[in-house]
Amino acid sequence: MRVKLLYNTDFEALKRVFSEKGAAFDPSALLDHVVYMFEIEDCSRVTTHQLVRHRAASYDQESQRFSAATREGVVTPPSIQTNEAAYKAYDEALKVVYAAYEKMVAAGVPKEDARYVLPSAIKTKLVMTVSARSLMHVVWQRTALQAQWEIRDLVNAMLNLAREATPELWGKVIER
Amino acid sequence: MKVSLVWSSPKPERTIAVAMRRCFSTKTIEEIEAELEQKGVEYWRYLLTKALQDKSLDVLEHFTLSLLAEGMTDADVGRLIRGFPYMRATGLGGGSWLVSLNARTLVELWREPEGKPFAAAIVSELDGRQVCPVFNQLAFGDRTNAG
Repeated sequence: MRVKLLYNTDFEALKRVFSEKGAAFDPSALLDHVVYMFEIEDCSRVTTHQLVRHRAASYDQESQRFSAATREGVVTPPSIQTNEAAYKAYDEALKVVYAAYEKMVAAGVPKEDARYVLPSAIKTKLVMTVSARSLMHVVWQRTALQAQWEIRDLVNAMLNLAREATPELWGKVIER
Repeated sequence: MKVSLVWSSPKPERTIAVAMRRCFSTKTIEEIEAELEQKGVEYWRYLLTKALQDKSLDVLEHFTLSLLAEGMTDADVGRLIRGFPYMRATGLGGGSWLVSLNARTLVELWREPEGKPFAAAIVSELDGRQVCPVFNQLAFGDRTNAG
């Protein structure tokens, strides 16, 4: 999985407006104004199903209607990877599924219909634009111990990038 | 009412084009960005035109803006926020506000009578600063009467 910050709002530029107008400044005032645009690559569709439930954000995701799926492009959870019997079953299932997908596409079925057989393990790419306030909510929910490993990894990566880009915002607010 | 740009997404039209290409491409973000740079602004215009024609306005949400709005009362801002809840405003005192919104909300403001004057002030500011000439031309057309 790879997460890249494409841009973020210039925190200092917004902060300057407060001083120019003589308004009292608290970083939390900028939670709704600072946004981050992330590129997320090669996480599973299991995880993006969880991610897009956070509705106060904007998403555009690689469409399976138009791009062909490949056998190589799947995420294998560690619990399966490290269990020989489980991995064998997983791998066999994927082989059957992908063979069916390829047969259907070769037989003229549109990719948008053939994809119905594809697994949720399939890797995907998407862009996400989110305000600091919404991201903070996602962080609180999805870095908790009860959250699943993959979205926890993803959101921790997003948090690190956001914190690095706008330390004053996250340093003050995340502690609450 | 006076509106001044504080910050906007870098290369707004290209940012929207990135979001569009993301949906249809298996490439990495670096490959998509390189493709968009190589094909240039006319390709961005083509993609934007398609998004607006197809009413796929979600891609506009990745172009975000922050503005200083002056000469607006609490009631003015309250009315706008109630009608357009994705817009954010923080009072700075003396009728000044820090306002943040994305380009989809800007288009929606432009299309509604109660939002049009504010949208027109923003579009005029973006025009003056040449922030997104292609987007402004495609989304807001002839702005000679935009106010």
